[in-house]
Amino acid sequence: MKNLVLIFLLALLVVATAVSVRRMVAGTAMFAGGIPTLVAIGTDPVPWPPPPAMPSN
Amino acid sequence: MDNRIISYVLQDAGILIEAALVLYVAWTRQWKKQGTAAFYLTCLLVAQLTRACVLHAYGFASLRYYYIYWSTDFLLVLSAYLAVCLLFRRVDLRQEKMWGLIRLLLVLVFILVAAISGVSLSLNRKHFFTYFIIAFNQNLYFACLALNTLLYVLLRYMDSTDNQLALLVCGVGIQFAGPTAALALVHLTTGGGFALWLGSLVMRLCTFGMLLVWAYAIIRAKDKATQVTRREIPGLAEVTAELDV
Repeated sequence: MKNLVLIFLLALLVVATAVSVRRMVAGTAMFAGGIPTLVAIGTDPVPWPPPPAMPSN
Repeated sequence: MDNRIISYVLQDAGILIEAALVLYVAWTRQWKKQGTAAFYLTCLLVAQLTRACVLHAYGFASLRYYYIYWSTDFLLVLSAYLAVCLLFRRVDLRQEKMWGLIRLLLVLVFILVAAISGVSLSLNRKHFFTYFIIAFNQNLYFACLALNTLLYVLLRYMDSTDNQLALLVCGVGIQFAGPTAALALVHLTTGGGFALWLGSLVMRLCTFGMLLVWAYAIIRAKDKATQVTRREIPGLAEVTAELDV
């Protein structure tokens, strides 16, 4: 049981690290022309996604 | 020189190296031994060729290219995650009990990443690609980076003598950590000229660097010892002892 809790906490730490790094470096800064900085594996050119719409109420 | 020319040269050279490595593994019949590298390289090659064909047929501005690009990115990130899992499996080849715990960790990380990305989808279900696929790709990409770093620390901690595995892990590290560092630089310099120039090139450079390291690992380091020795670490000993009960 103790091991399971530790593994769960480690998984939480890994995911929290990943999401924090993502929020710090990807999507927040902008390239020229207001293109968001996203990471993608592989080839150029990257088709940047349209800006997100506001959530509907 | 124009950034685009350098980028395309790196990209095309990378595709050639990928094809050469896949052919080398097939020619020397090392599919089983080099399974992780061969699997990821094959996925990379297929995705890049698919993107190139769609780009040529429909153009950059087409919606098809957009969907194909991010769908193949989804598959590439999944294959990268699977490759990292297989590298973890290779470390713990002689420790089935530890592998059970690490397998649970990998499954939990994947579920948590999917759940967190699902929050983005809940904002607007009409834009599945914008809100879920891309968010999921980004989150899993950085989760691969975190797990690969964890794997590297584990290898150092266990005094692994598997040189090939260390090189493969370093290659994955170059692929994931390089772009992250460049994006952090872009963010810190709030879009400074040099950072933007570096940011636009660094992803291709890092993929190219990973391919060179992997080529060395597959061709030159193939005969090195694959034995993994483990120090008797109290933490690990406790874990295995508890599982014995």
